[in-house]
Amino acid sequence: MQLGIQVSGVSRAFGSVQAVADATLSIPPGSVTALIGPNGSGKTTLMLMLATLLAPDAGTITVNGHDPATQPQLVRASMGWMPDVLGSWPTLTVRAALETTGRMYRLSRPAAAARAEELIALTGLEELADRPSRVLSRGQKQRLSLARALVHSPSVLLLDEPASGLDPAARINLRELVRRLAGEGTAVLVSSHVLAELDEMADAAVYLTKGRTASPEALARAGASSRAWRIRSLDAPALAAALTTIGVSPGITSVDKLGTLVQVTGEVAAAELLGRLIRADVPVCDFGPAVGNLEHTFLDLNRPTSTTEIAS
Amino acid sequence: MTAATNTPTNGAPAEGAASFADWMSGLWLIVTLELRQRVRGKAWYVLLGIFVLLVALVTTLLWYATAAEYVGGGGVFSMIVFFVLLLGTLVSPALSGNAVNGDRDAGTLATTQVTLISAGQLVLGKFVAAWITSLAFLAASVPFLIFAVSAGEVSAATIGTSILVLAIELGVIAAIGVGLSGVVIRPLFSIVVTYLLVAALSLGTLIAFGLLGAATKATVTSTFTPVLSSDFDPETGEQSNVVCGVPETTTYETPRFDYYWWILAANPYVVVADASPGVFDENGSPSDSFGWIAVSVRQAQTPPELATEYDACDEAANGYDSYSGEYPGMQVPGPTQQEIYDGALPSWFVGLAIHVALAVGALLWAWRRTITPARRLAAGSRIA
Repeated sequence: MQLGIQVSGVSRAFGSVQAVADATLSIPPGSVTALIGPNGSGKTTLMLMLATLLAPDAGTITVNGHDPATQPQLVRASMGWMPDVLGSWPTLTVRAALETTGRMYRLSRPAAAARAEELIALTGLEELADRPSRVLSRGQKQRLSLARALVHSPSVLLLDEPASGLDPAARINLRELVRRLAGEGTAVLVSSHVLAELDEMADAAVYLTKGRTASPEALARAGASSRAWRIRSLDAPALAAALTTIGVSPGITSVDKLGTLVQVTGEVAAAELLGRLIRADVPVCDFGPAVGNLEHTFLDLNRPTSTTEIAS
Repeated sequence: MTAATNTPTNGAPAEGAASFADWMSGLWLIVTLELRQRVRGKAWYVLLGIFVLLVALVTTLLWYATAAEYVGGGGVFSMIVFFVLLLGTLVSPALSGNAVNGDRDAGTLATTQVTLISAGQLVLGKFVAAWITSLAFLAASVPFLIFAVSAGEVSAATIGTSILVLAIELGVIAAIGVGLSGVVIRPLFSIVVTYLLVAALSLGTLIAFGLLGAATKATVTSTFTPVLSSDFDPETGEQSNVVCGVPETTTYETPRFDYYWWILAANPYVVVADASPGVFDENGSPSDSFGWIAVSVRQAQTPPELATEYDACDEAANGYDSYSGEYPGMQVPGPTQQEIYDGALPSWFVGLAIHVALAVGALLWAWRRTITPARRLAAGSRIA
């Protein structure tokens, strides 16, 4: 039995709209994979297919070795899904909602109660445990939704926009929790629009554009393309002078309030640039990519192809 | 904290096929969840209170209107049962008609579907909860039913069957409501369709029966042979030298309700009325409104006589004894209500079968549409 998630050549259309055209990805146990794509690229549709709610038109999916389309019960027993839609039984308390969910996974009454207690502590909802869930704020509902996905200690976790509406502290907690679950062997697929956050959380990334997962070649190309690095110096004029001396044309630099942005192709070139600045005695105090890896790849993959071609 | 995410106490959820006990406990979980969600609100209790008040009012008025003190509680009892059916049909669609699609709108349907709860448990559980809810209205009317029974003249068989059939009819409406909520995407629309269907059964059947029967005309041919002249002998009381006239034929049109009586069978009020065993007084008249309705419906089964013949001449020549031994002009007594009732086909089980088939069909359809993974989605619908 192959654990984790395997998706190969999956497609799904709604009428004439091809939501997912060709998705292929693999998530081994004990890892966190980011699912990245613009709005309408098919992220939620792919999640729904993994979550046994939607049958694919073509292609194969296995979740912990089981096909969600033909063996949904086996998949559901070991899969947790946190939807992008906030839904909770409005009149039930947080505790009752979690206990009910546990009972839906055939936990015994005491086991469901104990598990609810753990998850309330885990998601920091202690003070709200006995309030009806309709009084929760968006971020609190989001935490309840996460707790609900974890009720049956699933070994595959699907998180659809888990961080939206969370305050910074809750985001950090979420990140730590996801990393810990992965450390315990859970296979996690997480989609988010906050790419910087995924950068810190994910081991790997899957890019979805118009229903297609990016090919390894496209990813390699995107990773190698030039990107902006931000350089901040205690002596800005010295930095500008040094850059001119080194031969960085002013055309590819720009200055913003946080420092100077320089287009650099690849990390080797970045390291070389830094070395030359140091040797020129420029007091550099900050040197790093201006955008995260995921964001850079995302933007590059979703750049209109026509303009790239004209530019090159 | 590590222990918190992976405790040994819960263990792995049971894999594979569920045992019957598991299945039932899952079903009951949905029932209780549904009752806690939909029913346990202040508004519902207010509604129940208003209902009790109305039934109390109706019972009081009926008590005096039917002179129940003297004639017994049969009339009051049957009218209360009808009143509960009326209010049940008015309230139940609102409570059950958004069971499934309302959850989808609230975002709680998909989160239930990804658990080990099956589509069958989900739909059936919602139906049972909706049924229990409308049975609460029946339960609230029980004191008044007992009060009516206390006036006497209500048989145990009438009490038993009418309440049982009423409970089933309430279940049918609950099932149609829950079923349509699983089929129709928008909650408001499924509630309206449920109301329309209930109205079609309650009122539409009456309208269809009346219009179809009246529109389908048959011609009745009536022949009358008059006596032109005769000699009457006062001694013997017999006539002689009877001169017969030419038989006169007249035609007129009559509606054919007998073709359409089965339409009324699908009316829930008729089902409740017809199902309860007929109770008649010594004159052969029904002693409650169930009986009156049952007799009217069964009377519609009798086809009209399309050729009537009255040969006064023959009667004059051969004496009246050949017919009935009575005097001329005296009406042969028609069948009593009881004789009509006993001579016709009971229709209630046909109607009940139609209703139960509708209910089961609606639930099965909703079940099909709630099965996940979904292959086909209706236009404009979403999963979660």
